[in-house]
Amino acid sequence: MAGLAAAFGSGAMTNSINEFDDADLFFIIGSNTTAQHPLIGSRIINAVERGSKLILFDPREIPLAQFATLHLRQNFGTDVALLNGIMNIIIQEDLHDRLYVEGRTEGFEELKKLVGRYTPKVVEQITGIRSSELYRAAVMYAQADKAMIIYAMGITQHVTGTDNVKTLANLAMLTGHVGRPSTGVNPLRGQNNVQGACDMGGLPGVFTGYQRVGDPAAVKKFEDAWSVSGLNTKGGLTITGMMEAAHKGTLKAMYIMGENPLVSDPDITHVEQALSNLDFLVVQDIFLSDTAALADVVLPAASFAEKEGTYSNTERRVQLARAAVPPPGQARSDWEIIAGLCSRLGLAADYRGPADIMKEINALTPSYGGITYSRLSAGHGLQWPCPNVDHPGTVFLHREQFTKGKGSFLPCEFKPAAETPDDEYDFTLTTGRIYFQYHTGTMTRRIDLLEREAPEPLVEINPEDAKKLGIRSNDLVELESRRGSIQLKAEVTPRVPKRVLFTTFHFREAPVNRLTNSAFDPVAEIPELKGCSVKIRRCS
Amino acid sequence: MKLIAKKDVAAVVGTWSKTYSVLSPCMHASGDCVFDSFDAETFTLEYRKPPMPPKSSFLPQNETMFSVENGTFTPVIHHEKTLLFGIRACDLMGILQARSFYSRDMDDVYHRSHAEDTLIVVHACSWPQNETCFCTTVHSGPYAHEGFDIQLFDMGTDFLAEAGSDAGRAMIATEPFRDFDVEDAAERLSRVKHMAHNSIPIVSEVAEAMDILKGTGTNEGVWEHLGRKCITCGGCVYVCPTCTCFNVVDRVTADASGERMRTWDTCLYAGFTREASGHNPRSSQASRLRRRHEHKLLHYSQTDNRGALCGCVGCGRCSDYCPVHIGTLEVVKAIAEHIY
Repeated sequence: MAGLAAAFGSGAMTNSINEFDDADLFFIIGSNTTAQHPLIGSRIINAVERGSKLILFDPREIPLAQFATLHLRQNFGTDVALLNGIMNIIIQEDLHDRLYVEGRTEGFEELKKLVGRYTPKVVEQITGIRSSELYRAAVMYAQADKAMIIYAMGITQHVTGTDNVKTLANLAMLTGHVGRPSTGVNPLRGQNNVQGACDMGGLPGVFTGYQRVGDPAAVKKFEDAWSVSGLNTKGGLTITGMMEAAHKGTLKAMYIMGENPLVSDPDITHVEQALSNLDFLVVQDIFLSDTAALADVVLPAASFAEKEGTYSNTERRVQLARAAVPPPGQARSDWEIIAGLCSRLGLAADYRGPADIMKEINALTPSYGGITYSRLSAGHGLQWPCPNVDHPGTVFLHREQFTKGKGSFLPCEFKPAAETPDDEYDFTLTTGRIYFQYHTGTMTRRIDLLEREAPEPLVEINPEDAKKLGIRSNDLVELESRRGSIQLKAEVTPRVPKRVLFTTFHFREAPVNRLTNSAFDPVAEIPELKGCSVKIRRCS
Repeated sequence: MKLIAKKDVAAVVGTWSKTYSVLSPCMHASGDCVFDSFDAETFTLEYRKPPMPPKSSFLPQNETMFSVENGTFTPVIHHEKTLLFGIRACDLMGILQARSFYSRDMDDVYHRSHAEDTLIVVHACSWPQNETCFCTTVHSGPYAHEGFDIQLFDMGTDFLAEAGSDAGRAMIATEPFRDFDVEDAAERLSRVKHMAHNSIPIVSEVAEAMDILKGTGTNEGVWEHLGRKCITCGGCVYVCPTCTCFNVVDRVTADASGERMRTWDTCLYAGFTREASGHNPRSSQASRLRRRHEHKLLHYSQTDNRGALCGCVGCGRCSDYCPVHIGTLEVVKAIAEHIY
């Protein structure tokens, strides 16, 4: 989000899901789309069957590889070099959109200078991708009329996550592939409301709608609305920062809602120490997760079917959902729990319901100004920005100009991953998700059919590596990193390249985050969950 | 035969809802139409093919079969007088085929009890609901021949009501139903049926694909191509009126207590056929898709067909909803035209 916001002025998906149907070319990097966004993946498959092109960058042979016009398997953690190399070819071949670059962007000369150093030869050494293939990818993307860049966590969960995103934004602007239908830079958000959580200020440095806490006008507006004074004008801590502070003992209490860091965060031995170091831990969740089991107070929350409210999805679409059944036992809607807590802490939060809260959102959040309950009830949602009740919502961003005015080229140099294989830890372990389980499994592992389909964790290993190590499919193996070790079964498959292992973080019985590295991106502070160095051996 | 003015229908259904749990078409503010508990506010006669067939009235998505408390077993058989109002002939055929399957070799007491508790009012189609309807091809519509309590035919401002059972006859015996005592009643009805039948085109590829499957079999390439793009969502199975496979699971609630349940399942999931050893006789998505479609088009039971052509009732929902276009219509076309 930070990378796109810096380049364009808005961190959200630029275009919409319907626009996938009309794209001429998909440039997919760091997204296993059919597994993680299957309905968007379906649109890509359908478009390819109708003749659209697909350039896929992924070290793994994910299902979409079968539909790819070009599948390039770059070395782990080399995306910036790869994309700089593509831009260098585009500029050398004069395939960039000069009018667009001159009219709508700034910083081109700096970009040109920097990417000029990423010659095909240099890039081949870093990424492992042959110059001829890089050339093909560059030409195809630059020459397409309507080309969409699609990415997900494979881009962001790196120490260079923000650089990766900025570099993708550079590529899109260089070729004029942003600000028109079926183009753009499209981060696919993973959860049904992760966009909404960000929109509502669930980030350390912003109020709703990305209004900065350091902006005096925004502070004044919220102080007036809430009849308070002295709101903190400094940003708070990220999750990574909070865990570090708890570990050091400078953070004393934590209130976690709908998150299970004891399974999902990197280096969970460190997380365990951090959480047990707290004086007070509150966890609000629908089930007693591993993290909730550690809490001093557990606040039972209502599930999606038991509460009313809105969700904002990956395409900035706000949709209204009604309760289908009442919550069980003492469970309450999240808003009721938070409002109840506010009242007991002395801040009047006498909302009569979610519709009341939406009115406050409308009044204080320019991009949500026209997204009212009555409009949401009468249709299938509205896409922000939607500043007033007569506004139809926005299908794609940056039409005439970027949200911030001129788009900024933000050239980045290639930096290697925090941990690269050495003689002892000689494999790169990358982590991800599978189709039948969701995140730490607190919900999906309770569903018998899903559990039948994917009952246990498997680590993928390339047949050549497996042969050398005497590992066969279903053998129990041990993975060890500098931070810990886990045991799980092997799946021998060419889906992963040599010297790369893949597994998922869904299974608490073999928590892969015992192994992962908590090194993080310096801007967004997102950890490098996509890669760490490990060794593997067959258990006797 | 009887008539009822369309404007009187909502009130009649409202009266029935006092005796039965009525599922009827509801139009939501968003423009979506679903079958749900009768509600006078949202009840509508202006509806198209609902997204789901009525199979959950007979085979709920999750159903408790027995409960165990401290080691004591108690069968759980739900009884609820239910009335399905306004279902289409293809969906009735789906119910009849499933009923036959669930009673042929053994008596599935759960399915039977739902069937015994349910009255069915069919709304015969006057024209195709949308472009994927092919009931006339598989002989499941546009109107029903048996298995309903009441069948309604659209006659303009009125419905013509035909009783199919004693219960149905009793229900249309009183006001606001009135006699349809014109001389040419039978002829008029036959004209309505004829026009409806002719409005729904025959999809010749269905019979052609069935012949190919029965004869030489189809090219493996068809299944490989379709298997590659299937995203394994199982949606085609869940919206299918005749897909009624279930999985059995135990939900343990405390020591020696819990429930045994059955839940909808799909043969498109690998775990459906995976054996305890880990071996899977249907190891690819291509082979699983092939199994499902051959079950409908080749390995159906004549007994269970109930007068239809095969194990597909031509509702077209799989073609409506499959995100990557692997519905029956696309599959028979691929087979018949030797596309792959």
